[in-house]
Amino acid sequence: MRCDEVHPRLDAYLDGELAEAERTPLREHLQSCPDCGPDMAALERLHDGIRRSAPIYRAPDVLRSQIRFALRREAAPTVPASLPHAPGWLAYAASILLAIAVGSGGTFVILGERQTDATDTEILDSHLRSLLGTHLTDVASSDQHTVKPWFAGRTDLSPPAVDLAAEGFPLVGGRLELISGKPVPALVYKRREHVINLFVMPASRSDRGETLTRHGYNLRHWDEGDLGFWAVTDAGPTELAEFERLFRAATTS
Amino acid sequence: MAWIAERRRQSRFEAVVLPHLDAGYALARWLTRNDADAADVVQEACLRAFRYFDSYRDGDAKSWILKIVRRTCYDWLEHNRPAEVVPLELDGDPEGSVHSPPVGTVDADALLQSRSDLRRLDQLIERLPAQLREAIVLRELHELDYRQIAEVTGVPIGTVMSRLHRARAALRRAWDGKECGDAMR
Repeated sequence: MRCDEVHPRLDAYLDGELAEAERTPLREHLQSCPDCGPDMAALERLHDGIRRSAPIYRAPDVLRSQIRFALRREAAPTVPASLPHAPGWLAYAASILLAIAVGSGGTFVILGERQTDATDTEILDSHLRSLLGTHLTDVASSDQHTVKPWFAGRTDLSPPAVDLAAEGFPLVGGRLELISGKPVPALVYKRREHVINLFVMPASRSDRGETLTRHGYNLRHWDEGDLGFWAVTDAGPTELAEFERLFRAATTS
Repeated sequence: MAWIAERRRQSRFEAVVLPHLDAGYALARWLTRNDADAADVVQEACLRAFRYFDSYRDGDAKSWILKIVRRTCYDWLEHNRPAEVVPLELDGDPEGSVHSPPVGTVDADALLQSRSDLRRLDQLIERLPAQLREAIVLRELHELDYRQIAEVTGVPIGTVMSRLHRARAALRRAWDGKECGDAMR
């Protein structure tokens, strides 16, 4: 191989893109040629230098959460909703909860003194997922006249979406969740920086009247007429009991 | 229920695309040269990809998503920094760098100055014209082969080779402190 044949092939040789039939004669030429050999060495130095010195950019975790969130909004059947980007607290919650999710393999491991049924587990899982930023609301609104009709046609149940902002528990929206393979409406409330997810399913006739605490999350369940309510939050048990009291008062009055 | 189908589609999309999010972000970061802009571009690219997801056929997911990220970057640059996306001249001529007239928008003076301040390779790469920069980044940092780079950047393999050659020649001149050549001017 002559120098003028070798020269245009140096890059391809470096990149491993040269056919075997060309590689061997080129290698032989490089070993003997006083011009092409150092040329190739300089290319290799550059190649090593780039890999050594170039910063490795990685997508921030917050971006990952925001993308999941945006996709969820994109995939969700929408009514005009206005929750712009994942708010700061959501990203914050995601960063903390990621460790929990990873630690438990993405599934809530229920341990403890009292048997927890499968529904509780699914609800805790769903609550955790919602905080991870993948899916907080499909319809973001504090207006019960927006949230309640949104569920019509999407589920058989008609959840009583009352706003409790005056009592310190503002309604921020609603979404659909899959619990035991069925679409279940979830109302989303806030208590200061905490989220309360309220799942509405047919009454279970197993009203417990107590707060179940697992991994720092509190869950209460009650029945009201034909409907069963499961409220889960990282707010404190006293606040959750207060939420139940206020919600029941507002929906039965 | 349509809603459940959409959720499944989203799960499948996340399984295909999210493993390549770092690669997409890195490409956007090199092309926009800014963290916040890269994040915006990648989010927009993911939404675009999600809309086009039905056209994705099982295959090279990394090239597929990089192609969409790249396209979104160029759209963003054209809108926000049009001076950075001037077409390269003499594309496709492997020897074009030797006699080529000024290309792209690279600032030769800035590049020469960088010879005195550590001559850091990452800074030199950032000063390459976008088309040369993406070729070097996709090859050296994303470790794509020529065929994949051609797919991502939408040019023939001959053009990929030419751009890589020109990018390396320019970097070598600036980095080794050899005579400043034409490709960077």
